[in-house]
Amino acid sequence: MDEVATKIIEILRKNMKDPSKTITLETPLSDLEIESLDLAVIVFDIEDTFGIEIPYNANEEVEAFATVGSVVDRVKSIISESKAPGAAA
Amino acid sequence: MVTGQGVVTPLGTGVDKFWAALKSGACGIREVQNFDVEDLYITIAGEVPDFDPRERDLSRQLILADKYSQYAGCAAKEAMTQSQLEMPLKDDDSYRAACVIGSGVGGITTLETSYKMLFKENKRATHPLTLLKAIGSSASAHVSIEYGIKGPTFGVVSACSTAAHSIGLVYRMIREGGVDLGLAGASEASLNWGTTRAWQAMRVLSPDGLFPFSKQRNGTVLAEGSGILMLEEYEHAKARGALILAELMGYGTTSDAADMVNPSIEGASTAMQMALDDSGLAASDIDYVNAHGTATAVNDINETRSIKRVFGGHANDLSISSTKSMHGHCLGAGGGIEAVATIKAIGENYVPPTMGLHEPDPECDLDYTPNAGKEREVNYAMSNSFAFGGLNAVLVFGPPPA
Repeated sequence: MDEVATKIIEILRKNMKDPSKTITLETPLSDLEIESLDLAVIVFDIEDTFGIEIPYNANEEVEAFATVGSVVDRVKSIISESKAPGAAA
Repeated sequence: MVTGQGVVTPLGTGVDKFWAALKSGACGIREVQNFDVEDLYITIAGEVPDFDPRERDLSRQLILADKYSQYAGCAAKEAMTQSQLEMPLKDDDSYRAACVIGSGVGGITTLETSYKMLFKENKRATHPLTLLKAIGSSASAHVSIEYGIKGPTFGVVSACSTAAHSIGLVYRMIREGGVDLGLAGASEASLNWGTTRAWQAMRVLSPDGLFPFSKQRNGTVLAEGSGILMLEEYEHAKARGALILAELMGYGTTSDAADMVNPSIEGASTAMQMALDDSGLAASDIDYVNAHGTATAVNDINETRSIKRVFGGHANDLSISSTKSMHGHCLGAGGGIEAVATIKAIGENYVPPTMGLHEPDPECDLDYTPNAGKEREVNYAMSNSFAFGGLNAVLVFGPPPA
């Protein structure tokens, strides 16, 4: 697992009821007993850690938040977009 | 009895203007004009338009106060004027009057400004009125000073149920015989950069608009304003020949005691049932429900299910609407502004619409009066307020006694 994935799993553990649970990239977020407010805290933590902004609305079902792996992919793509030359701040 | 009412809203200041806007389906949500939204992704809000305290004939003390106190002062003035009570109250009456005007967060814009001065601009001191402007009891204190109200005066705090709790509390004070009359409601003026940031971080705001019960709904929209009622004991009102606008008949309040953001059907429906029981009405007597209807994913489904639990088959005969679709979510003040909409619905036999409801959520399948208001006999009506923390307050209004 790369650095981004490791850091994201670390953030997830910090906000889980039972941090000892096994987490892989395939784990659905729904298995982690994360509620909507926890998710807002997790997104904030990820944004703060990687210095990015993640569009997320708790009122909408978001595919990017289905599994741990999809969160990692979404974060990586936002990181690469923000590093791309000429990218809007 | 309700013998006066006043509002300051994103649809305008004054009950007549507000009601005309609700009837026409107007929208008070706009691109933010009063603060810099450059680095925010939420750029819309229900700001009160054209509010210059100097043009509202407010006292010098109120002109120096935080905007939340000014809104309260303005709404209270309208309610007080309509009640035709002598201003200021005479000595005999003054201790028999209450003034309970709450706020979700009080003068938070005053705090933001002063912290910016201290932390960012390295000023050595804050404005001497900072504390008095910021405290959550300053609106009630100011209004009590304006009208010589010397009985119970304080602010109530329960986020988005603040106004309904304040109204319910004064209603009970009157029933217990502690006071003869009282101003009750709330005021909110928390639209600023920091507050929007904080709400934005919760991920519950819509960047587009407030569309209750709709399949497309994607969050609520912050707004501001004030809604205040003059409540008066029946014999007291009758003795002085006051015009009675409506009767406050029931009040129910519960706490979910479960979750800060996810509402429970049990908490909401029990509060509604308590308000009904308190009013002595049957569920089938209610014609109109002014819903909390915040347009968040969870509220609108939970509220729909709660209404069904309380009203059973009659739920389908109710006219329901969320006027928030027009004035936005006025937070602590919401229940006061919506109480006025509910009282007007009774007085005018007219149900204001839920705007922006073109495709309902399949799980929201009641009559929300979509997109156009309608004439309908409204004798008895309910106004729901449900707040973060699971704090519920429900009011039931009826026509003036025959």
